[in-house]
Amino acid sequence: MTRTWLKDQPYRPHMAVIRDIIEETPAIRTFRLTWKDPAVSATFSFQPGQVGQISVFGVGESTFVINSPPTRREYLQFSIMRTGEVTRALHQLNVGDTVGVRAPLGNSFPYATMKGRDILFIGGGIGMAPLRTLLLTMIDNRADFGEIMVIYGARTPEDLCYRYEFDAWRAAGVNLVLTVDREVPGWTERVGFVPTILAEEAPNPYNRVAITCGPPIMIKFVLAGLKELGYEDEQIYTTLERRMKCGIGLCGRCNIGGTYVCVDGPVFSGKALRAMPPEL
Amino acid sequence: MERETAMKSASFVSHADLPGLLVRLAEKAELWVPAPEDTAPHRVTFKPFQAGMAIDVQRLPVSSAKKLLFPQGEELLRFRTDKSASDAAMETVLSEKTTEARPTILFGCRPCDARGFVVFDRAFLQGPSVDPYYKARRDINLVVSMVCPGPDAACFCGAVGSHPADTQGSDVQMIPVSGGFVLHALTDKGQELMENLASAPSQAQEQEARQVWESVRRSVENVASLKDSARHFPKRFADTAFWRFHTERCLSCGVCTFLCPTCYCFTITDETDGVQGQRLRSWDACMFHHFTQEASGHNPRPTKAERFRNRVGHKFSYFLEKHGQFACCGCGRCLRHCPVSMDIRAIVQAMGETEEVHD
Amino acid sequence: MNTLKTLVESIWDQVDMVLGWHPGYDPLRPVPAFVRDRKDIASLIWNPLCAPNLSVYLAKSFKTPAHGEKKIGILAKGCDSRSLTALIQEGLVDRHRLLIIGLPCPGTVDPEAVKSARTQSGPITGVSFGDGWVELMCSDGVERLPLDQVLARRCQRCRHPHPVLYDVLLEDAMPRPVPKDPFAHVLALEEQPLEARRAFWLKELERCLRCYACRNACPLCVCQDQCLAESRTPKWVTQKDTVADKFLFHMIHTLHLAGRCTECGECERVCPMKIPIGLLKEKTAQIAMELWNYESGTDPVARPPLLSYDASVTGL
Repeated sequence: MTRTWLKDQPYRPHMAVIRDIIEETPAIRTFRLTWKDPAVSATFSFQPGQVGQISVFGVGESTFVINSPPTRREYLQFSIMRTGEVTRALHQLNVGDTVGVRAPLGNSFPYATMKGRDILFIGGGIGMAPLRTLLLTMIDNRADFGEIMVIYGARTPEDLCYRYEFDAWRAAGVNLVLTVDREVPGWTERVGFVPTILAEEAPNPYNRVAITCGPPIMIKFVLAGLKELGYEDEQIYTTLERRMKCGIGLCGRCNIGGTYVCVDGPVFSGKALRAMPPEL
Repeated sequence: MERETAMKSASFVSHADLPGLLVRLAEKAELWVPAPEDTAPHRVTFKPFQAGMAIDVQRLPVSSAKKLLFPQGEELLRFRTDKSASDAAMETVLSEKTTEARPTILFGCRPCDARGFVVFDRAFLQGPSVDPYYKARRDINLVVSMVCPGPDAACFCGAVGSHPADTQGSDVQMIPVSGGFVLHALTDKGQELMENLASAPSQAQEQEARQVWESVRRSVENVASLKDSARHFPKRFADTAFWRFHTERCLSCGVCTFLCPTCYCFTITDETDGVQGQRLRSWDACMFHHFTQEASGHNPRPTKAERFRNRVGHKFSYFLEKHGQFACCGCGRCLRHCPVSMDIRAIVQAMGETEEVHD
Repeated sequence: MNTLKTLVESIWDQVDMVLGWHPGYDPLRPVPAFVRDRKDIASLIWNPLCAPNLSVYLAKSFKTPAHGEKKIGILAKGCDSRSLTALIQEGLVDRHRLLIIGLPCPGTVDPEAVKSARTQSGPITGVSFGDGWVELMCSDGVERLPLDQVLARRCQRCRHPHPVLYDVLLEDAMPRPVPKDPFAHVLALEEQPLEARRAFWLKELERCLRCYACRNACPLCVCQDQCLAESRTPKWVTQKDTVADKFLFHMIHTLHLAGRCTECGECERVCPMKIPIGLLKEKTAQIAMELWNYESGTDPVARPPLLSYDASVTGL
């Protein structure tokens, strides 16, 4: 993980310009950023799963997973749900505005260990954001992986993110299973909560890695469902979030037990999760 | 370890010569001393030294000295947002406020105060990242601590792996002897400071210093360490009835955190007038409700029971595992100044006291 | 004549628990006790060191009664009973949930005043009280001090040492006399010219740590977890370490307590930097008295004058 350019001044963001804004859902916008400084563009690197702290100067910083894959360096993408002070301010920005970015922070998915295996992504709502990073990295290295299955659900079709990419994913050989909570006229894909669809699809655990991200209630049932299908803790990965400030393991805020989510996470295996005290 | 460093130089300063010594030290750097408040002479705090100022090394200062290296409010950077010259978009320009860290000398603090800096060093210099602001100050800071004149009922340095003559975190240590103090340089920085500062001690004075040091160190020999009880934390974590019981009178304020020499939690906020502003680092406390409050509305530590549990966990379990020592120097300020005398020693001890886990 | 223990025993069957005080690690500092077991009644103490105002826990920790719950017993000095009454006035606590054990109060001791008044220096190992005096035991011997010399400032100006609201009363207790000039401390400060007062507060507030002990110890600051002074949206006070921001926090806090504060003095007692912030709230109490002849926490059905903008509600 290249972090040397943050080493001497870990609190100083680099400036980035908003290149595009995509309205994914009424509450979620995807921002595509380009670095202001070409030297940063040339040297910046990151691994799937890592995050960035985005600054709206005058308001504050907030943590988001880097949503574009390291294989596609044209821009840096973040999908942001409008929830609090900083995200509300972000949603008021326009193309051409400047933000600050401190990245890459945190750990990444153990990508190398996933090669040669079948992959199962299980996402809910905005939870698709960290999954997309890894998914696209794998699509761009398709030959390194076996079957790639994605189970992605949201409340309604309008709450699904990246709808404009689904065809491209399928064309790249991804088994994409989409679901919404209830029947909607015109919806031809699946209907049902994500854990239900998981149980129906029942992808077998042999030589497979499962990565899941979404609302806490969904994660809870998905983890239980995966155990029921025979997945071991070591085969499961998820991302956790916490209120963050420094993002570099110093301010003492984002810990779960002795683990700092900003440094030891946000990616955690099922095994690491089990070792954590019940402070989720 | 501690006696080896006594091979560095030693000095003797009489009580009468102490004010002169302070003036000479104040010429080298910004000098901070424990001094009484004018309206309340029995209350002592660390203050910048001024010639003629009365210092008090007998009483325990109310607050710690951490603000020397870790100010309560510190600017991280500045920003200004204006319409850009080239187009209609808003452009933000950053500038780093070059806070010139000033050389400082902390004089007359206790070993517990000095040990607080050891915890800060581990967190801010030896952790996953280096904090450049703390480092800049720490590099040009010197600590001249004094062997503790005596504990009060709230002190417990002996229970956390230290003792009242501990040299950890100090560059020079003062030992009270008849007529004055013997000063021992402990580090290269301390050695440099003491060059030509005062005359050497006599052999009798050195011997007395050694005796005083030994006797003070041994004064806490029989204090039981909290290490054995602290081991029980992971098992005790899920015992919510235990935490609720022991934290019932806590008020969730920040007194313990803000007075503690080892507490280093902070928040980062932007303060702006709309056009220009600063990104500020300021003290925060895990005891506050908002500390882990997420924008979604979820709070992993919604009540004081969870928050105090985290305080105990951080100081007596997680930090111990990562760095081999408690994030606690046993100064007792948290207990002494708590509005309801929350006793963290008693809670840590209680963790190991019963095998029963309440549901 | 009843005693504390017989009094608590006599009401025990009506309550789920009794809030009182028992000894802490320091003989000078008894701590709040939450007695749920009959056998623990024996640990309860009552003396002029029992300073903490127990009503702080009622609206913050014991908000919601469980189904079928009995009452909560609570020991209350005069000042504490005013806080309870104010909580009842504002509907923050249900009167019927409380069984108030009234304690006529001789005044509470300020441990810091003890420290400065003592001539002996050894650690205090025990404390006892008599009529108008306190006796300190330490390794150097015994020292007796007049109670008046070590009273907390709040007690020197206290107008209600006798509880204003109670269900049962401790009979063997004598309240201290009420001062002729209860707002004397406020008036003394006001006699000084404006510049002197300004300099006084800027100097005092410089020491403030924004630890929020004053706020959290206040029984009426039930909004402490969503405090306006810490709010970021909208933002009133910054995180800057300046006396201006500290001053603003204290102004917000004081004004939010105007017409509500019962002058229990906990804010001042708990301040680790010993800033006399009680004076600010006492001033608002004096104003309330002058403008509306209103005294907070003395009548459980009285409407606080600043509770509403609606004149038909407040009568103003």
